Amino acid sequence: MARREPAAETGWRAVLERLQAGGIDAVLIAILLAMGELLVVAFSGRRGPTGLLLGAEQILDLLSYGRWLVVGVALAALWALGARWLGASPGQALVRGVPEDERDLAWTETLRGWFAAVFIELTFFAGWLITELDLYAFLTKFGKAADIVRGLAQPSTSVLHEGLILLVQTVFLAFMATAFAIPIAFVLAFPSARNLTRGSTLARLAYTVSRTVMNFVRAVEPLVWALIFISWVGIGPFAGVLALWVHSVASLTKLYSEQIESIDTGPMDAITATGASTLQVLRYGVVPQVIPPFLSFTIYRWDINVRMSTIIGFVGGGGIGYILKPRVDLGEWGEVGTLVLLIAATVWLMDLISAKIRERIV
Amino acid sequence: MSAAAAPAAAATPVVRIEGLGMVYPGGVRALAGIDLEVHEGEFLAVLGLSGSGKSTLLRCINRLVDPSEGRVWIFDREVTRLRGGELRRLRRQVAMIFQQFNLVRRHTVLDNVLSGSLGRSRLLPSLMMSFPQAERARALESLARVGLADRAGSRADALSGGQQQRVAVARALMQEPRLILADEPVASLDPALRHSVMRHIEALNRDEGLTVVCSLHDIDLVERYATRLVALRDGRLVWQGLPSEFDRATFRSIYGEDAEPASNTGF
Repeated sequence: MARREPAAETGWRAVLERLQAGGIDAVLIAILLAMGELLVVAFSGRRGPTGLLLGAEQILDLLSYGRWLVVGVALAALWALGARWLGASPGQALVRGVPEDERDLAWTETLRGWFAAVFIELTFFAGWLITELDLYAFLTKFGKAADIVRGLAQPSTSVLHEGLILLVQTVFLAFMATAFAIPIAFVLAFPSARNLTRGSTLARLAYTVSRTVMNFVRAVEPLVWALIFISWVGIGPFAGVLALWVHSVASLTKLYSEQIESIDTGPMDAITATGASTLQVLRYGVVPQVIPPFLSFTIYRWDINVRMSTIIGFVGGGGIGYILKPRVDLGEWGEVGTLVLLIAATVWLMDLISAKIRERIV
Repeated sequence: MSAAAAPAAAATPVVRIEGLGMVYPGGVRALAGIDLEVHEGEFLAVLGLSGSGKSTLLRCINRLVDPSEGRVWIFDREVTRLRGGELRRLRRQVAMIFQQFNLVRRHTVLDNVLSGSLGRSRLLPSLMMSFPQAERARALESLARVGLADRAGSRADALSGGQQQRVAVARALMQEPRLILADEPVASLDPALRHSVMRHIEALNRDEGLTVVCSLHDIDLVERYATRLVALRDGRLVWQGLPSEFDRATFRSIYGEDAEPASNTGF
């Protein structure tokens, strides 16, 4: 076997790869130059209109991105033209793989290696400045925070009763969100699995649509979903359930479909060969293989939802977070301490139970 | 045309293959220009090294893979043209046995055998895994035929490899097929257990008159069970004949100059 037909690499595909590699190079070079400029500006001692040293956002606003992008494109083009003497560029190495004759070279022997080294170095420096790391403040100004820690260490019992009641709500909130997510994610997982959707154009379309929508839904944080649902159904635990539900559907669909993609296709072949219909093939060839991992993922998701439901109340989604937020704002650290301990105990307990159950299933 | 196939040659062949070729996506060619006829009641062994295209050939017959060139007929119906429901109805008559058994491991032995009847089952009850009493009785009977009636309630993955393959034979029997495709049915079994499975396939061929197309790479088995042989090399059909015509020179032409028969096969 394994005799290859004449290489299927057509002209336009090679051109596309070159463009892709060149684009990656141009962007990388432009980022490198911009980070360089950032360091220069930051250490130049330049002051803003108020006479204070420039802050990170102001410096970021000053950088000449357009210029660096033009220079990046030019340098990337030069590197592509001179690839024979300069070695493969980072973009080429990413898109087409490292060429045969450069595989055994140490990083110090290639321009690409030096480029990567400088790039990583600059990323750390720029990152330090952009996120305004301040070791001095970290090491010397603990005093204020000490109040909070002291409060947390002396939990007050005044909020215990209310906290326990809302804790029950929190756990049920997570439970309802997970339970309603299961059937929908189960159905969506099949059209979202690559190995089941190669058959027809319609199936491929279903895959693309489902994956795209789910990726978008998952990218939006539950807290944002909570804001949307609060304006829809009003403040309260139901909005929290809906927010966690939407996010759980998306993330369970992804986990389920990836599990489906990793099944043994043998039983599917065997059931197909009996003349069974598509639904029967799924029922006999796929479902029995994925049920245990599905259960495990679902319990894991419930676990995550309990953790998330403790903060969903911060924005008005019900649960224990609802009474935590005002106490944080008022600086009632003793009461905050009680609530945090309650949350920690619940999460710890859920973690323990879910680990035990998953251990039993898998 | 060989002597053994001559009596059946007048009738319509069970399988007819013309100019069959297969190139997998990615450009690997698995089959080229295969012409072949399989006749009623034959036990046709397909020989060849692993990677010579035996699996692909069998899978093109029931369209588990779609061939890229050529045409296949089963019982005078052109399989390569069938779609959807028509293809499924044709597949009911063609059972397949796999090297890796391909049982539903978490289902019971009985449920695995019952899955052979899916092609003729009503959809909704079958999705609930509920089968008519008559089918259950037939499944138990099939299990009895392969000597596993007492294991009906066990989970499939609790059985040994040889037993699992016998369950797969019972599943094939349950399908009430006219043709059996067996893809290296004993290659992943302990050598001592090979005959225990092959005997059951042989029985289906001899007692029920089912046509069998079986890929094998073990010469001992071929000589003992097959009524006719074809050999593949690099995706091409390089030899066909009777087991008695198979000799050392043929062996070398199929397996290459460096090959040695694995055991004392008598030539």
